[in-house]
Amino acid sequence: MSAAVLRIQTLAVNTLREAVRNRVLYVLLFFALVLIGTGVLLSTLSYVERERILQDVGLAAIRLFGAAIAIFVGVGLIHKEVERRTIFTILSKPVSRTEFLLGKFAGLVITIWMQVAIMAVGFFAVSWLAGAPVTLGHVQAIALTAGELALLVAVATLFSAFTTPMLASLFGAGFYVVGHLTRDLRELGAQSDSATVERVTAVLHRVLPDLEAFNATIEAVHGLPIAAAAVWQPLLYGVGYAAALLLLAAVVFERRDFR
Amino acid sequence: MSQSEAAVVVRGVVKDFRPGLGVRRKRVLGGIDFTVRRGELFGFVGPNGAGKTTTLKILLGLIHATAGEASLLGHPAGEAAFRRQVGFLPENPYFYDFLTGREILHFYARLSGVPREARGRRVGELLERVGLAHAADARLRTYSKGMLQRIGIAQALVHDPELVFLDEPMSGLDPIGRKEIRDLVLQLHAEGKTVFMNTHILTDVEMLCDRVAIIVQGRIRYEGRTEDFLGGAERCADVTLAHVPPELAETFERQYGAELSGRGPHVEFRVAEKHAQALVRAALDAGAELRSLTPHRVSLETVFLSAVEEEARERRAAREGGR
Repeated sequence: MSAAVLRIQTLAVNTLREAVRNRVLYVLLFFALVLIGTGVLLSTLSYVERERILQDVGLAAIRLFGAAIAIFVGVGLIHKEVERRTIFTILSKPVSRTEFLLGKFAGLVITIWMQVAIMAVGFFAVSWLAGAPVTLGHVQAIALTAGELALLVAVATLFSAFTTPMLASLFGAGFYVVGHLTRDLRELGAQSDSATVERVTAVLHRVLPDLEAFNATIEAVHGLPIAAAAVWQPLLYGVGYAAALLLLAAVVFERRDFR
Repeated sequence: MSQSEAAVVVRGVVKDFRPGLGVRRKRVLGGIDFTVRRGELFGFVGPNGAGKTTTLKILLGLIHATAGEASLLGHPAGEAAFRRQVGFLPENPYFYDFLTGREILHFYARLSGVPREARGRRVGELLERVGLAHAADARLRTYSKGMLQRIGIAQALVHDPELVFLDEPMSGLDPIGRKEIRDLVLQLHAEGKTVFMNTHILTDVEMLCDRVAIIVQGRIRYEGRTEDFLGGAERCADVTLAHVPPELAETFERQYGAELSGRGPHVEFRVAEKHAQALVRAALDAGAELRSLTPHRVSLETVFLSAVEEEARERRAAREGGR
């Protein structure tokens, strides 16, 4: 293993260890599991499609709690290190600033994926107990959610590299909301009479993230087949987008003074 | 001095900060120069806000200089790869408090590239050396300030660096803690390491450092051997005598230029060190009794304060000249 990879791994493992020893994340995870379980109650309110309501609520809980953890923990990821001055001793070792960013990013992604895995186990257990079918489509939908969350961590890392957690939270949440609306934006532009509006919305759709590409909840819940390309293409897109964000974060971070 | 003999070289380093969102720049370092030789225990002294920590952070690549050059062990400051040879203890260090003393040292050892087979032994040795073997498996959040300072020193040394930077290593410690850190610093020096110590505790510098640089308001006011500038002024001694015949005091003042500095049952004279022996002999011959003889040195504090005053004077003069 190269020295740089070992350093990134060390930082990632430490970030994971910090999360494992942090009670706040357990509380969030607990509420996510409670919400998944609440799907059972909600489904009893309806006479039809009980299983679908149950699974819809379950998958939404995984996506929303995952996004909340990615944004709200992610925005403090770098800022906290600078504020508490723990970064001073780390960067005084043979660690580059980019390695530091990548290590922190990887650590939080692994943490979130572990939580997604726990929530997925909860989701499958509740589905099984309620007699709802569990298919490959559910696994694919959760894998896409995991991809989306990694992208959100990259967003949070970028904002955390140069601004305060408060602003970074606003930017991160804004990014999440806009990311789920970019397709609507494109549709809106296509229906417009103005060619300029159409061109602008098309550019925005290309530049802003298309987070709806990671949303296969409807297909999974309704038992519709999800093509392999509908999984790997968004995941590949996520990897590329996250890499671009991390590159930008590294450039910004490299120029910073740690006073 | 050749480049290979120098551990730290700073040439014309300038640092400007922009406070807040303002466009006005605030100059924190105004083109400083100094050199630290290999194996030296170097004191970087200055009042709060003089630019000590900023200089240190530039050397470690935590802050970018606006202009000028700095190098460590022949490499440009800020290059990550060669920091394998550099250790750093920040002022009031803060570490991941969810880790134990042993875990944090393993963490830094891995980051510093200490080979896996040597890591456990090195960490164990350091915990012993800084007196924390008993608390090795306690979380850092349970450590006292003195213990954190010691784990801070251990992390700075975990990769056996050649050059060690200590930023206010004695700050906030009780006398016992200060003595322990002082002893550790002397041990490092004895091992041949170059130690660069930022401090405003002048007695520590006097006691420990081979050479010093005094920085005031972002400018180096003095750089040289501690001995040289302490020895630059005439040394004197305080002589305390009992049963001194009254006429003797006048004789001493006339003959040796002694300065009577205290009266009462005991009489105290301050006299040039070269006349101290003759004065004591004459006093004993006249029936007086010697109570104490204390060599009195010009302290670093005197030199430091005069550097600060000189800087203030020059700034005043520049302001008045500008009107």
